[in-house]
Amino acid sequence: MPDEETLEEGTLTPLQPEIQDPLLREILEENDLQADPSRNPLEQPAPLPDPSDEVDCVVIGTGAGGAPLLARLAQAGLRVVALEAGPRRDPKTDYATDEKAQNFLFWNDERLSAGQNPVAFGKNNSGTGVGGSTLHYTAYTPRAHRSDLTLHTDFGQGVDWPFGIEELEPYYEEVEHFLGVSGPTPYPWDPTRRKGYPLAPLPLNGAAQLMERACGKLGIRTSPAANAALSARYYQEGIGWREACTNRGFCQAGCNRGAKASMDVTFLPLAESFGAEIRADAYVTEIERDATGRITGVVYEQHGRTVRQRCRHLFLCAGAVETPRLLLLNELALNSGQVGKHFMAHPGMQVWGTFPEDIRPYKGIPGGLISEDTHRPQDADFAGGYLLQSIGVMPVTFATQMVRQRKLWGQPLRDYMRNYNHIAGINILGDCMPHASNFMELSDEKDARGLPKPRLHFTAQENEQRMNRHAEKLMRQIWQEAGATDIWAFERYAHVIGTARMGRRADEAVVDPDGKAFDVPNLYICDNSVFPSALSVNPALTIMALSLRTADKFLATLR
Amino acid sequence: MEYPAGTVRALLQTDLVTPATRAALEARLAPQTDYAPQFFDADTYQLLRAVAARVFPQPERETPIELAPNVDKRLLEGRADGWRYDAMPPDREAYRLGLGGINQAAQAAFRQDFVELTTEQQDVIIGQLAAGEAPGENWQQVPQDKFFEEMLAELAESYYAHPLAQEEIGYVGMADVPGWTHIGLNELEPREPEEK
Repeated sequence: MPDEETLEEGTLTPLQPEIQDPLLREILEENDLQADPSRNPLEQPAPLPDPSDEVDCVVIGTGAGGAPLLARLAQAGLRVVALEAGPRRDPKTDYATDEKAQNFLFWNDERLSAGQNPVAFGKNNSGTGVGGSTLHYTAYTPRAHRSDLTLHTDFGQGVDWPFGIEELEPYYEEVEHFLGVSGPTPYPWDPTRRKGYPLAPLPLNGAAQLMERACGKLGIRTSPAANAALSARYYQEGIGWREACTNRGFCQAGCNRGAKASMDVTFLPLAESFGAEIRADAYVTEIERDATGRITGVVYEQHGRTVRQRCRHLFLCAGAVETPRLLLLNELALNSGQVGKHFMAHPGMQVWGTFPEDIRPYKGIPGGLISEDTHRPQDADFAGGYLLQSIGVMPVTFATQMVRQRKLWGQPLRDYMRNYNHIAGINILGDCMPHASNFMELSDEKDARGLPKPRLHFTAQENEQRMNRHAEKLMRQIWQEAGATDIWAFERYAHVIGTARMGRRADEAVVDPDGKAFDVPNLYICDNSVFPSALSVNPALTIMALSLRTADKFLATLR
Repeated sequence: MEYPAGTVRALLQTDLVTPATRAALEARLAPQTDYAPQFFDADTYQLLRAVAARVFPQPERETPIELAPNVDKRLLEGRADGWRYDAMPPDREAYRLGLGGINQAAQAAFRQDFVELTTEQQDVIIGQLAAGEAPGENWQQVPQDKFFEEMLAELAESYYAHPLAQEEIGYVGMADVPGWTHIGLNELEPREPEEK
């Protein structure tokens, strides 16, 4: 045995020799990190939330329904967590100007489309990722009309909304100014608005100019449309400067400049600046309740782990398929029998033509021009109405839609597509009535997680069919006047609406006029699923307005 | 109405294209002639190739754009595009049944498999399919019109996502770094070449 002194001398050589050369030390440390990624501070998984930690609100979904209210709740000082099924990406570096490469923006889990007019999902109308479907919406943001909310009163068909347009107007104004909507002031079809658009309209592309010219000859009023893309640099508190649109025309496959007002560059950074936490890649599977039926928390899958987050209040904002799917899977808020019922989709018929002019349809905001003269047409044989818009289009989207309609193949297919730079389109966005035969259900077929795939039944009813006929005739007339040849129409349906309707009575609706579930004391729903009828305009702006209103109604209950 | 050969390849080398866009398009330019199928068996894969070659005949190209590899890869990975006609069986089953039905139609008309037919005979079969009039017992299990529509849409997506097909139709939207200022009728940017 060595004596004590010898031992002390021996410890001068420690068990792990200290490397003196800094370069060698750095190299060895890097090697260590590669061998054991768990030691790398950049590779650490986010800390798991404490399962006993209860937050004020959990928001499921970060699209047009979830993001605005997330910001509002965070601004009110509440502790809020948003769970987003999809990833968080950086548009500036991760987005390609390539349609196929951008397929990650869409909710690509398979949905089964049934009925006489099966609705296309995926890129047609559903998104995933921090920002939800707004990552690929066209940014077309007309307001709903007063009369869109009173269809039953006016026509004896469909249903009325449980409140009037006055309830939405202040929120429309707020959202338009926060997002920086570019549009015409005064608005030709609603000239008495209190507030105009904050920015001038975006410039018109070829398709818009053709439609403007032809409508002028036919006596149809047109105007540059309202689009939530910036016609000039724009500043908002909590967000900073956003750059102006450069007419990339790529809105439907993701804006890489932040010029389009998707939620990831507007309401979500605002929410985060007030302390909201957004968890990406968090796929909710369960909603937990106590014996009294009160929601206590949610369970989600994230990076292969199962995580529980407790909450005092839940806001379900997952869109009109995933919202009712979660309710059905969890047997939640089902007393009215209305969950999944009254699924609606906007008639979105397109008419295309070939022109001698050089159009290059990939340039400019896609929905450049609007007409709302058809909101309540004089010669209509249907209830409600529609808007008309010009459309730009990217080549892959155009080719796939065209072959579905025209079934061209072989040399005629290649020959037709060579006209791409001379093709322009117009389409409608028409109201859709709720109908009992149109609904969403859980199928017997399972997805990759072992959960039932949703099945959606949609058949255009007499009213939608009459509207389509009226619109097709008019659009063909406009395109003939514009000088088009080889005109063809594509009957399609866009946007996913209904399935958890709002109403006054617990036996007729899932949520009350404030967006609160009738059956569950601490559940709010806010997305296009609560729409009682579809409206004659694109839904995004109204969803955002409703989202802020829902937050305000909820906050009022806390006072 | 196409751009001169080399237009898109040349654009991809410039700063007019973002790195993410360049990466996506250059990966697609790599030839896939040697692709070995991983989902389909060899015969079914050759059948799909033969069908794709009639849907997108490319007699002018020394190396045609291959469309079958993307179908094979997608079915192998089980990727979907967000929806399916409820009337259709799952995608893998639909392709198996639909391609089998094409061979049945070829046998009924010419007593030979599709790949053995002349291109004129193959076009007769595709024409029957497009009209929903191809004979074959498999069409009892998969709706012919929807199978053709889905296959046509998938092949069209692959074809027109290819940079050379985009050049063919005069699309240069990928060169968007500076944005577009000449967007009206008959207005062109210098990097939008006149059509041939």
